[in-house]
Amino acid sequence: MDYSLCIHEITKRFGTFVAVDRLSLNVRRGEVLGVLGPNGAGKTTTIRMVMGITMPDSGRLELLGASDPTKVKDRVGYLPEERGLYRKMTVEATLRYLGQLKGLSGATLSQRIDEGLERLGLQGWKTRKVEALSKGMSQKIQFLATLLHKPEFVILDEPFSGLDPLNRDLLEKLIIELRREGVTILFSTHQMETAEDLCDRIVLINKGRVLIEGSLADVKGRFATRTLILESVDDMRRAEHWPGVEQFEASGGVARLTLTERTDPQPLLSQAVSAFRLTRFELQRPNLQEIFVHLVGEDGTRDGPDAAPRSNLVRENAHA
Amino acid sequence: MHKALTVAYREFMETVRTKAFVIGAIIVPMLMVVIIMAMEKFMKLTERDEIPQRTLAVVDLGGHVMPALKASVAGFNERNPKRTFVVEPIAADEASLLSVREELRERVLAEKIYAYIEISADAVRADAPVLLARKDAQIAAYRDIRELIKPAVMAARFADSGLDMSRVMPLLRDVDLDSIDVRAGTSKKENEMARTMTPFVFMFFLWMGTMGISQGLLTSLIEEKSSRIVEVLLSAISPMQLMTGKILGAVAVGLLMMGIWFGFGAIGARNFDFGSSVSLTNVGYLALYFLPAFLLSAALMGAVGSACNTLKEAQSLSTPMTIFNIVPLMLWMPLTQGPQSPLAVALSFVPPITPFVMVLRLCADPNTPVWQIVASLVVLWLGVFAAIWFAAKVFRVGVLMYGKAPTLGEMIRWARQA
Repeated sequence: MDYSLCIHEITKRFGTFVAVDRLSLNVRRGEVLGVLGPNGAGKTTTIRMVMGITMPDSGRLELLGASDPTKVKDRVGYLPEERGLYRKMTVEATLRYLGQLKGLSGATLSQRIDEGLERLGLQGWKTRKVEALSKGMSQKIQFLATLLHKPEFVILDEPFSGLDPLNRDLLEKLIIELRREGVTILFSTHQMETAEDLCDRIVLINKGRVLIEGSLADVKGRFATRTLILESVDDMRRAEHWPGVEQFEASGGVARLTLTERTDPQPLLSQAVSAFRLTRFELQRPNLQEIFVHLVGEDGTRDGPDAAPRSNLVRENAHA
Repeated sequence: MHKALTVAYREFMETVRTKAFVIGAIIVPMLMVVIIMAMEKFMKLTERDEIPQRTLAVVDLGGHVMPALKASVAGFNERNPKRTFVVEPIAADEASLLSVREELRERVLAEKIYAYIEISADAVRADAPVLLARKDAQIAAYRDIRELIKPAVMAARFADSGLDMSRVMPLLRDVDLDSIDVRAGTSKKENEMARTMTPFVFMFFLWMGTMGISQGLLTSLIEEKSSRIVEVLLSAISPMQLMTGKILGAVAVGLLMMGIWFGFGAIGARNFDFGSSVSLTNVGYLALYFLPAFLLSAALMGAVGSACNTLKEAQSLSTPMTIFNIVPLMLWMPLTQGPQSPLAVALSFVPPITPFVMVLRLCADPNTPVWQIVASLVVLWLGVFAAIWFAAKVFRVGVLMYGKAPTLGEMIRWARQA
């Protein structure tokens, strides 16, 4: 298998706080990998180590075949969670500067800037200062800056946070387009719907460790189908006492039955057919949201009393 | 390195375009030169003005000064035909003095006469002062009147003691002390004013440059942090590249600013004959201190700026360094007058202030031993490397840190841990 990124048991501590705990992760070339996890799970710290912005305390990683990530930065596009632009610079100067830092220059750079601005419908803003842009426009400029050098690997840290619906759509389209072009994409999010729509594979991280990893179907398959939806004009309250039903909710002609573990839904189907005039019978697979809540709930989060506040992550521990 | 230079170039261009730079580097020195030149012109203009003849009512209680005073005034009027005086002798004795005073006082207030002067007999024989009463307080007029009175009273003293003034005075003429440049073998006139001021001017330039750089770097780092662009930059370059670029950019700004100031300074110096007291060799030595001085302060400010989120935090965190840098400003006089004193030599080896002290010493005394120049430069560059090492460690941690600003102690811990 061809990998864009291999992470092997990396650990990052801030004082006594273990932000990333022997985490291993592989990203295949050309796939879209969603890194999910609650706030403070260690997603950003992991990504920063991948980008060589902070160094792991132990473990090793290989980015695009290089063990020193800073060597291949020009082939990677990174949109950090904390992102901004120089307010006093013009759009063009900003893109030119960021492009140069990514190793572009001259006519190629000018051409890419023009193409990019045109695609985002921002040609008219080229010579305006960044401070004149709306928030949505600045976000577009940030996407553009991330992709200007046509990276083969794109890392997006919470790319959807703070986006308006239009830019959200735009970014989703960009991701789909990039995947079609064969670009490897890793993005972190705590919004499950997005992950479900876009990812080939997901990794769920909590407390600095991988909780579950695999393709969407794979992950969902590991959780037995335990929800049964019935729709009927009849009163379905009787079903609450059927064997194997753990929980029962009904409203507006729709009943939602949660089955006990190891209950075969098949006999319930025949029972339901004979009991009610059914308009719908559905075995619902758990969605990512439910899996997430379930797994993280079992594992517990760091948002307890021993949690380290995000912004002060390092500082708190510098005392230690 | 290429990317660090890209960062440095942006830093330089953006700083040079700020209002603060244009004001600090161009408008302020330009104004200073303009003001100095204008003042000179203005002085000459006022000298050319014709002042109506002023009457001095003189009460000569001893009766010995009047003839000499009249001669003195005549001589003065001849030399300064545009501001002449005329003496009106007033007769008075001990009994009538008070009423005469009152009358003269009223005449002065009514501006009938410019001033009245009372010379007691003791002014000649003892140390009693001559009294001057006038309505305004012009310094020039005070000086002129003093110039009239002094030789007159002295002449009366000579007459009183029976010495021949015309024979004694020439013997009291001034003695000049010229210096010989032992290397060049030529002699030149000493300009004491220039001797004292030149070291100060050079050190002040260095000081202003250092402050300017520090402020610029702090502002731009805080801006990058508060606008959250730092991590975007770090996606393309390493923290070390970013810091190197910013330091180089700031130092380039400082050198440009110095260049402009020296340009203006040279114009000013030619006007005032200041330049003559600094040898060209020493100006060369000075240049050696500017670069490390700027690097050192830029590195320290880089560390401070990366760790803070607001300019206010950064300023309070950098206060200890600022205070330290005031030391040479305070010690300017003792260091200039005793450039080889043990204190001066000792302070030459304390890196953050080494450049200031050495600039003072080199300007004050061209014969500073070469070994001290070399040794102080070595110590200074070691300080520069230490500061850059410290800054790099703090920068890596600080630049992505938001929240409360660290204390100096915490920063030192980061440097040890990172």
